[in-house]
This record gives sequence, C-alpha cells and structure tokens, in this order.
Amino acid sequence: MSTLTTPADRRPLELIAATPQTLWGMPAVLNFTLVGLGAGFYVAATLAAALGMTDALALAAWLAPALVLAGFAAVASEAGRPLRGLRVLRGVATSWMSRELWLGGLFVLLALADEALPQPGLRPLAAAAAIALVLAQGAMLKNARAIAAWSVPVMPVVFMAAAAVSGLSLLLLAELMAGRRPGRALLATTLAVLALGLLVWLGFLASSSDPSFVGATAPLRRGAAAMEIIVAGYAAPLAFLALALAFPAWSTGPTAMAASLALVGQFRARSALILTAGQRRPVTLATLTLPRRPS
Amino acid sequence: MRWGMAIDLRRCVGCQTCTIACKQEHSLPAGTQWRFVADCEVGVYPGVRRIFLPMQCMHCAEPPCVPVCPTGASRRRADGIVWVEYDACVGCGYCAVACPYHARHLVHEADGYFAAPTPAERATAQPTRHDVMTKCTFCKERVDAGRAAGLAPGVDADATPMCAVACIAGAIVFGDLDDPTSRVRALIDGTNAAPLAPECGTGPSVYYVTGDGPPPDPEPRAWKPADVACPVPRSARSRSRHGFDRPPVQDPVLAWLRALGRDR
Repeated sequence: MSTLTTPADRRPLELIAATPQTLWGMPAVLNFTLVGLGAGFYVAATLAAALGMTDALALAAWLAPALVLAGFAAVASEAGRPLRGLRVLRGVATSWMSRELWLGGLFVLLALADEALPQPGLRPLAAAAAIALVLAQGAMLKNARAIAAWSVPVMPVVFMAAAAVSGLSLLLLAELMAGRRPGRALLATTLAVLALGLLVWLGFLASSSDPSFVGATAPLRRGAAAMEIIVAGYAAPLAFLALALAFPAWSTGPTAMAASLALVGQFRARSALILTAGQRRPVTLATLTLPRRPS
Repeated sequence: MRWGMAIDLRRCVGCQTCTIACKQEHSLPAGTQWRFVADCEVGVYPGVRRIFLPMQCMHCAEPPCVPVCPTGASRRRADGIVWVEYDACVGCGYCAVACPYHARHLVHEADGYFAAPTPAERATAQPTRHDVMTKCTFCKERVDAGRAAGLAPGVDADATPMCAVACIAGAIVFGDLDDPTSRVRALIDGTNAAPLAPECGTGPSVYYVTGDGPPPDPEPRAWKPADVACPVPRSARSRSRHGFDRPPVQDPVLAWLRALGRDR
C-alpha cells in the first residue's frame, strides 16, 4: 500500500487555502484612515506651529478630534452590538483595541481641553496621545494572527508613517485653503516624510518571506493597487513637491496636487491592506502520512 | 485537567454528521456551522489524495482570540475550554481575525431555512447570540452536566461533545489530555497525532491522526448500549431547554392502526 507523505523539506502541508476575511470591511478602512489622518494632522500642526512653519493649529484643534471621532463612529457601525461599545474599555490590560479606544478618548479630551482652556503641557500631551493612538492601531493589526499580511512586527511603523504622510498632506491643503503659500521648510519636510513613507511601505511589502504573507500581499506589489498606492500615492506627490520646491512662484498647484494625491493614496493603501491583503492564513498540517485506500 | 480531542483522519468519511449534530445540539441558525468538514485535495498528480478535515475551535492552550478581546467576553476556563460570554460581547470581530482556525462566527441576522420561521426555528431561537461572536464550546453544558451527574466525558455519551457522540465512524475521540490513561491521550501518543497550523504557536487541544502509528482501533466506540439506541442522544436538560419534552400527540387513527397491528 503506497502512502502520501509530507514533502521531505518538512514544510507544513496546506490543507485549506488562504481565504479573504470578511468581518472587517469599509468601516474599518475608514476608521484606520480617519484616525490616522486626524492624529497625524494634529501632530504635524503642533510641530509645524512650534517651529513657526504654519498657523493651522486653530483648525487642527477641532478638526483632528472630529476626524478621530468620525473614525470611531465608522467602526462602531460595523460592530454587532454597538450599544455595548463602552465595554470595549474593559480589556485594556491585554487588548490593543481597548487601548486604542482609551488613547483615542484621551487624545480627544486633551485636544479639546487645550483649545477650551489652554494650559502649558496640554498640547504636547495631546500630541503624544495621538502618536500612541496610531501605534495602537498598528499593534492591533499586528496581533491579528490569522491574517498573515497584518501580523508582522513592522505594522505599527507602517501606521505611523501613514499618519505622518496623511497629516502633513492635510496640513498643506489647510494652508492653501487659508490662502497661505506653504513655506519651503514645510514643503521639504513633507517631501522627506513622503520619501520615508514610501520606504516604509516598500519595506513592509518585503518584511516577511512567509509564503502566506507573500501570497496575501502580492496584489499590493503589482497591478492596479500597486499603481494607485506606490505611483499615484507616493511617486507622483514626490514629483509634484519637487516641482513646488524648484519653482516657488508657481508652487500652489503642484502642492495642492501632491497633497490631494497623497491623501487619496493613503486611503487606497488602507483599503488595500484591509480588504485585499486581509487573507486568512492557510490551514496547514505539519505531518501527513495517509495510507492510500484501494480504489 | 485539559479537555481535548483527537480526530482520526483515517476514519473520517466526510459525512458531515458531526456538523449536523452540532447544529442540532446548539440550535444553530441557517448558514452557521461551529464545525464543518472541509473537503481537501492534497498532493500533486499523480500522487493526489482527498482528505476530509473536520474543523472547529481548537480550544488552544494559548488562544490568540482571548487576549485580543476588548471586553473580556472571550475566555478560557481552567479545564481548557475556550468560550464566549454572549452578554459581554460587542461583536467587533477582532477575535475572528486573530483565530487562525476559522472557528469564530458572527451572525448578524439569524436567517431561517424558509421565508418564515418554522415552529422548530421559533422554539430554538437564540436571540442572545445575534450580533455577537459564537463558536464551538466543546459542548461545555453537556460536559459539565455529565460530570455533575458522575459521568465521565469521553466515556459516557451524555458527558461527551455531541460531534464525538454522533460520528458514524468513531473518528472523534474526546477526553482529558492530561490523563495518561485516557483514550484520547493514548491515541495521540500512539499515532504521533499533530495539531493544525503549528507555526501559529497556539497550542491547540485538537489533534489530527494522519497515518503514523498503529492501524485504527477496530472497535472505537465506547458508548454504552443504552446510549447508542438513539443515533443522536440528547440529554434530558437539552430536551427540556428546546421544549421537545412535551407528551406525544394522541392521534386516534394511529392508535387504532397500532391496536390493529397488535391484534394480528
């Protein structure tokens, strides 16, 4: 009687192929996008104001908490029992989702308190809470062990880079809409952060040789998603920002294009990460030696 | 004590009786299966095999679903059973994306099999399970009630998970993994049974027998004759819970036919 055995290289045998996760959909994408955008905008506006690059802090003081709250509202619409939402605060000892809600609430309270009753130290605390909030979102995905594309150590860094790119892009748009032309320092900083963000994204795509990770992230490396994220979301904004820096007198148009494309690119990256690369790991068995049954 | 299971893939014929027994025992709505038997094709032509792989919650020693739960609704008991407290769950789905075994099921709306709920569906509806995470419980109510009645899980049918009781091939063996004399421990140790997805490091309590070791036990069932009289025995507690313990309908025509048969 012949047998079917595990291959000699002892790689676990795949019994059930990778399948897309269906529980987290567009509301989760909106949550990750809006929270990153709000937190990144607040931190960028705070730092830029401290360095004298911008005067957009008044806008960030209310818009950033509003974006974060909108992100939480979006994801609450996806929960089965949203009216039990406050129970999410209970698991702070172990759950990054719980920590995300605590940090989000802390950020909103500190940012609004700083706007209503300005006190020294409140703003840096709110900015620190915003950074921790973004890292908590990345850690949340990192702990989703069934999803190979999310469960990588670099995920919090990916979220941090995305928030920085989104926040600076929104800051550039806010400056333009307020009738101010962004200074060279702000444009150069944004360009550097965009380049760093691109490196982080490419590093994420190459961060694991696990076949399930490689398979799940393949659509992000080639095809339409790759064009939209890498070319339209990073390369084109980099080119437009370089133009704006090279020709300061005509910088308004290229800056607006760069910021808009970067924002759309970040949304596309979040949606591709959650909806396209959100594949459940294949179910494997380490050893298999099944005797053949006679036909 | 750690409850666990060994599933002998050499015996499984993919009949899905365990799937249906589980659905019936737990009154699961249409489209929801806490366990299922995957029909897998493995190997490369011409060395291809078809394998039936029963899937369920693995009741892991290090369950990734428990620490991620933001409300504490997902828990692990001291005896290893992982369960969900429905009243505490918000249905966020985080545990489902943390579980590598496809074991968790969120039912937003309990669909029926027909346009309107049948009397049986109405009688067995479980509104507390709507919009929250549900999963295999290792039939903890049966196990607990059986132990309270002095029965031995894995030995006595009324103290054993319904899938193991109903399996027509005796492929599912339940018992205490920490007991070296238990049948499940002996099967695992004697066959080099392995868990699924060991690379995830979750320490599953469900092992799969694939072919190493001695041939299948020729008489795997240990159920007492009284238990196997009914192919899907139900505990008195579960009968009462589902409202199936009403007296039978007295049909005069049927009674007349029976009497006629006895006279002959």
